[in-house]
Amino acid sequence: MDLILEILHDSLSLTGPILLCTLGGLFAYKSGVINIGLEGMMLFGGFIATLTISFTSSWVLGIITTIIMGILLGILFSFFGVTKKANFIITGFAINLLAVAVGKYALAILGTNDINVISNVVRERSDVTLWLIKDIPYLGDILSGHSLLTYLSFILIFVTSIILFKTKFGTYVRVVGENEEAARSLGIKVDKVKYLAIILGGILCGFAGYNVAVNQLASYTPDITAGTGFIAIAAIYCGQGDPKTSGLYALVFGLSRALAVNLALIIGSIAGLLDIIPYIMIVVVLSVVAIIRERKTLYRGFIHE
Amino acid sequence: MSKWNNNLSSNLRKSASTITPILIAFLIGAIAIILAKENPLSTYFILISKSLFNIKGVLKTLHYAAPLILSGLAIAVSFKAGLFNMGIEGQIISSGFVVAILGYELAFLPAGVLIPLLLLIGIVVGVLVALLPAFLKAKYNVNEMVVTLLLNYAIFAILEFLTSTVFRDPSSGYVSTSMIGSSAIISRIGDSKLTLFFFITIAVFIVMYFVFHRSKLGFEITAMGKNRSFAEATGMETQKKTMYIMLLSGALAGLAGAGWMMGEKFAYTLSFSGTPGLGWDGMLIALLGGHSPIGILIAAIFYAVLKTGSASVAIYTNVPAEIILLLQALIILFLSIKFFNKKRVKKEPKKEAATNGSDS
Repeated sequence: MDLILEILHDSLSLTGPILLCTLGGLFAYKSGVINIGLEGMMLFGGFIATLTISFTSSWVLGIITTIIMGILLGILFSFFGVTKKANFIITGFAINLLAVAVGKYALAILGTNDINVISNVVRERSDVTLWLIKDIPYLGDILSGHSLLTYLSFILIFVTSIILFKTKFGTYVRVVGENEEAARSLGIKVDKVKYLAIILGGILCGFAGYNVAVNQLASYTPDITAGTGFIAIAAIYCGQGDPKTSGLYALVFGLSRALAVNLALIIGSIAGLLDIIPYIMIVVVLSVVAIIRERKTLYRGFIHE
Repeated sequence: MSKWNNNLSSNLRKSASTITPILIAFLIGAIAIILAKENPLSTYFILISKSLFNIKGVLKTLHYAAPLILSGLAIAVSFKAGLFNMGIEGQIISSGFVVAILGYELAFLPAGVLIPLLLLIGIVVGVLVALLPAFLKAKYNVNEMVVTLLLNYAIFAILEFLTSTVFRDPSSGYVSTSMIGSSAIISRIGDSKLTLFFFITIAVFIVMYFVFHRSKLGFEITAMGKNRSFAEATGMETQKKTMYIMLLSGALAGLAGAGWMMGEKFAYTLSFSGTPGLGWDGMLIALLGGHSPIGILIAAIFYAVLKTGSASVAIYTNVPAEIILLLQALIILFLSIKFFNKKRVKKEPKKEAATNGSDS
């Protein structure tokens, strides 16, 4: 029973970063831009957060630099992908490579293997305990004791939903994504909307990196993201861009990661193989979703994109 | 005469749009080198001179270029057709791993039999790994980019498990498979690093040159990349071709992995493919080379120069060898923009005026 509770508890905290990336990528996706650079933006976020915190011991500054980093990366990606009309798949990929390269280069210059913030973080590490809820049997064990960003990520599902479907900005984003020419003819500043959508994504990915590097691991290495950005892209695809459905897929992927982590403690050396569960699971989910979609919409042998 | 002029200016533009990103990347790289408290000019000189200005260095560079040419071609075949096969890395390491195991187990065979056999097995492994994403893309239009990328992570985890448990060489101090037998090693030429594998690569390159420029498949690859729906509408069997192209890409990757194992590494370790990995290097090379075989050949040699040189940089200066990663990422970043595109330059002002009009 304890194990099951532990797995469920972990699946919520491991879902946090996936969810942040998913929602971040969603804005861009809805505006018609596929941001492959989620992974790199997240890694940059974790990098700048731990770097700031290890020098200043202030998590507030850590958050601020993470946000600034997210904005800068968003502007960089938009400048290339929107203004310069680059192949944004390759731009995004370059951002991923750049994130790893900058991380490794900086670590090599600093002469360390990781940026460790355990000593700086311990004071702030206090995970949030939800009063009242924490006393409910079982449910309290699962829901209480996560980091602030984890709770934020779940709240953001609904915030994103509201922004996308109930605000002017959200409507603009969707219109731009559906039909750019039509949006332009209505006087919507297409490029500006795309910029904002991408920058918003950059900030959320930065938060995801902060969450993993500071709250969960208390250290940064260039491999902490372990494909989270791509898992998020898979979640966006599977949920077809709906915040709630995509969020649900993010939760499923978080659960499979939690399974891998927790079962690894029990079964020993074969545990290495459990790491593949989330990846295989995503491929299966993607395939099933695509097969169902194809059954529904196959006409004239055309492949719809 | 005017046609000749057009060709000339188009070639000039092509080279300019390739060289500009490299120059910008080196400029930004210079800042990183200054951060490491070194002189960028002398660092770049070391980067190039050690791998280019003497015979031994050149042969070494060519040796490192061989797998890069193959992985660049593997990427180009699929990218040009609009198929983002990001699984090259996974295909290379899978093939390398299987070749390492069989090269050890079958070491009793004579070299004349074993080496061709292992090269063939490497190709087959590459094809098999590419089979699943190829099938899913062709039959159900599952996004091949996400699938291949995620499979890379899965493949790496599986090989890490196998290398550190079942196939671990107990006498080795670190996680590694047993060394392949001496009959599985592709022999070097003289005392240089260059092996016969380089010439196999060149043979494959020539074949691929004709596939790209002279064959029906090459034409179909271009057609699919330009407009898949149109290619389909004109009667091309795009599903079947998708399958062929992805598998061809896998075969090239498999050959690269097998050659790298038998000519350089001799045992599978977790850093078999290096950082960022031959597959990712291939992406840079395919992009630099503009998805054309000749371009890829030049780009692969250029990149091999940097790769060989980066080791010297780390030895002779305080700049970490990771500078090469930085340069690579920056080059890819700036390559995603087309700097000098005649059509765009001509059309842009008109279009821009139109957009501005409707925007305001």
